[in-house]
Amino acid sequence: MIAPTRARHRLFAALLTGACICLTGQTATAQSPSLNVSIIVFSPGIPADASTHRRLQVFPRIREFESRLLPFVLRETLVATHTWGAVRVVPEPDPAAELYLSGEILLSDGRTLALRFVAVDASGRVWLDKSYTQLATIDLESRRPASGIRAYQALFDEVAQDLHAARALLDDKALQDIVQISLLRYAATLAPTAFEGFLHRDPGGRFSINRLPARNDPMLERIQRIRHVEYLMTDAVDEKFQELYAEIASTYAVWRKYRQQYAQYQIEEAAWQENRKSTAPRGSYKAIESLYENYKWARLAAQEQEHWARAFDNEVGPTVTRIESRVAELDDWVDDRYAEWNRLLGEIFELETGLGE
Amino acid sequence: MKALRTGNILALCALLTACSQQLVGDKLVRGYAGDAPVNLSGSWERDYARGDIVSVEVNRVLRQIQRSAIDPRMSNDRIGVANTSDTRRKISRVLALAQLADMITQVDTLTITQSEHQISVERKGDYAISCEFYEGVAQGPETEYGNEICGWDGHQFVSRLVLPDGLRVSHRFTISTDGKSLHVSTTVSTSATTTPFTLDRYYNQFERPVSTFNCIETLSMKRVCSTGEIK
Repeated sequence: MIAPTRARHRLFAALLTGACICLTGQTATAQSPSLNVSIIVFSPGIPADASTHRRLQVFPRIREFESRLLPFVLRETLVATHTWGAVRVVPEPDPAAELYLSGEILLSDGRTLALRFVAVDASGRVWLDKSYTQLATIDLESRRPASGIRAYQALFDEVAQDLHAARALLDDKALQDIVQISLLRYAATLAPTAFEGFLHRDPGGRFSINRLPARNDPMLERIQRIRHVEYLMTDAVDEKFQELYAEIASTYAVWRKYRQQYAQYQIEEAAWQENRKSTAPRGSYKAIESLYENYKWARLAAQEQEHWARAFDNEVGPTVTRIESRVAELDDWVDDRYAEWNRLLGEIFELETGLGE
Repeated sequence: MKALRTGNILALCALLTACSQQLVGDKLVRGYAGDAPVNLSGSWERDYARGDIVSVEVNRVLRQIQRSAIDPRMSNDRIGVANTSDTRRKISRVLALAQLADMITQVDTLTITQSEHQISVERKGDYAISCEFYEGVAQGPETEYGNEICGWDGHQFVSRLVLPDGLRVSHRFTISTDGKSLHVSTTVSTSATTTPFTLDRYYNQFERPVSTFNCIETLSMKRVCSTGEIK
């Protein structure tokens, strides 16, 4: 992990010397650029109406945790395809990313995982806007749903295939344009006066290149260095999230196992009720006791699940809080620096051109 | 044809009336606005010196049934006079309700937790009666086998379990003015008979012994205890 102080030293060294900080992803070739992918932490999909949570079996704290964990599964899946450049999980929206991927959890009940993904490149082209649903795969030994998040690997594989297919529709020129537009959009947010004229945005929100800056434009070189530093900080945040994933993954696997068992219990219980024919006369003790007991056991099973959710929160809560606090520190540091870069670039541009930002 | 149509309309009206009455009956318990009127939190143990004795209550209800079977205007303290099949059926159904009420109310300790948004009554050996409150609206749990309707009725917390075949189990919790005693009135009724069966139970507040250990439940390590603060 890269501590903020260490990252800070590297930042200032980079800014002073103008050295290039290499990214962790593959190097893009002139022929076929490997796009960098930014995956925003997923939307947890928690209904705003808290009174519906119990009925919908939504456990907000766990959903929030899943929204941080699931992007890593997608990231690992994308990295394994060797198709992309650096694949990062980012805590804040990054619309200038070469390829920006956002996701929302629609359903996660232990048996089924449903996610919606939207992938948009820097030019505003939508690559993907689709919902995916996956039943937990069955473990061949126990003949029960496999435990852990890997039970849904097929869903992430499908997303990776769809992204790959969308990429295959673009020629090298289009991919190179995405890389350039991404950099120019980023530059325009930092130094609007210097860079906003390079891009055209149509009424539909699509960006295209009007003209390109000079190859040795000193302002663009500064922007590139700053972007590399920001990537470095993003990687530091990303490593924090990976740390969280590593620390909590085993507990989360236990949670999913319980959830799957509960889902399985519900299915078996429903089937049992379907096949069972009560012969007790209506109004008899046997008949009314059976009605009461059915409800009682359904509630006890639901309460057990709520108990697991609390136990999960007890176990992972302190780790999540600790890492969230570290990530917040990194984010604050980046925000402060960003404001400073913005001001400095404005001053430099004014000095170099005589135009005010 | 016209008669048939009129018959259908009348049947529909009767059905709608029955449904709306049922709905009104089950929606009697309302939510509340603002703070909960009383705090029921704490540990409660059964006071066996007070409360109904099942056999006495059963006899009382059976006498009522038999009195009404013989002649609603007459008073008769003897049991076993009426012997019609209708009365026998009524008696058998009330006995069933009494048996269920007895089973449900055998809980000897209650643990009640109450917060801004929830009240939960944990009962050993049974499910926890639960009610959530959001924006003044009270909402009980729902399952495919039934649902709970709940809320505050004045200073009483009421939970009504609605089950198939018109079976209802209602609990009404009333705390004494000094806060040391809790009265729980449990009524079981069914659409198969017009006579409900009610049992009253009393509980006294008690302090659970303070443990020297601080414990939390975890998923992977189960119960974790420490003499110090658990981090």
